[in-house]
Amino acid sequence: GSGDSRGAGKSSSSLIAYKNVNDIPTPRDLMILVDQKNEAIHLPIYGSMVPFHVATVKSVTSQQDNRTCYIRIIFHTPGSAFSPLDANFSKFQGAIYLKEVSFRSKDPRHISEVVQQIKTLRRQVASRESERAERAT
Amino acid sequence: MADHRFSNILLVGRGGSNSGDLRVHPGGIKWTSKGGKAVEVDKSDIDGVTWMKVPKTYQLGVRIKDGLLYKFTGFREQDVSSLTSSIQGNFGKTPEEKQLSISGHNWGEVDLDGNMLTFLVGSKQAFEVSLADVSQTQVQGKNDVMLTFHMDDTATANEKDSLMEISFYVPNTNTQYVGDETRP
Repeated sequence: GSGDSRGAGKSSSSLIAYKNVNDIPTPRDLMILVDQKNEAIHLPIYGSMVPFHVATVKSVTSQQDNRTCYIRIIFHTPGSAFSPLDANFSKFQGAIYLKEVSFRSKDPRHISEVVQQIKTLRRQVASRESERAERAT
Repeated sequence: MADHRFSNILLVGRGGSNSGDLRVHPGGIKWTSKGGKAVEVDKSDIDGVTWMKVPKTYQLGVRIKDGLLYKFTGFREQDVSSLTSSIQGNFGKTPEEKQLSISGHNWGEVDLDGNMLTFLVGSKQAFEVSLADVSQTQVQGKNDVMLTFHMDDTATANEKDSLMEISFYVPNTNTQYVGDETRP
């Protein structure tokens, strides 16, 4: 309901990026986008913006090579070290996981911004989740 | 059956989208861009048709018999029912309804149909890629499958960031692809 405090509906076992299809941003340019409010990263895959909750992201790195830039996003999978999604993983045995995506970019400045935004957002969500876990014990 | 014409319909694919006009006529489907690019599908080549609600609009998927899939977006809600009856009348196909996954989860299942690989989360489509664009498939270790895409400049002209590689983790507990490693 509307009386919930911010993020109260998001327990670590049910991290949901969006509830309504129309809440997904539709940017003019197809490029990686970070939605701070919904804690989601959007990846342009075959002409569509595909959202991933930031809690599914394990790491993000970028690399520059002359004028071309690369970004690699690695997602949490079972068996990777501590993951905030472990509770989910045991519930979805047999599922296939998106593990990693790499993009080539024409805009190095945009990529370094995206990497910073993802890192900041990951820290925010991780510290909120660990506070929640502490309060619960 | 009369022709149905729609303007400002985007052909969506790898590397972005192009705007054009779509015509559904008794012989098939034709999309033409303002720049003169055209996609023509003969009714006898249509294998299946799908509708999916996507952000702000509706998407029509037209799968043809060689396994390719054309995706058109820009339809209004009222277009869906009129076009559905036109497709049923002209082509004898009933569009299936697909749902878009928006949960942001990275676990689900992989569906292979024709050239299309679809990643589904909770039975809803998160994304799909065409295996026709894959230049290399590698199995890494026991559980990882990596797909590398062709990176030619024409394929990626309309986008700033272009998908190069994607990998999936297939746990030992997955029963869908058991025995795949024994295939040549």
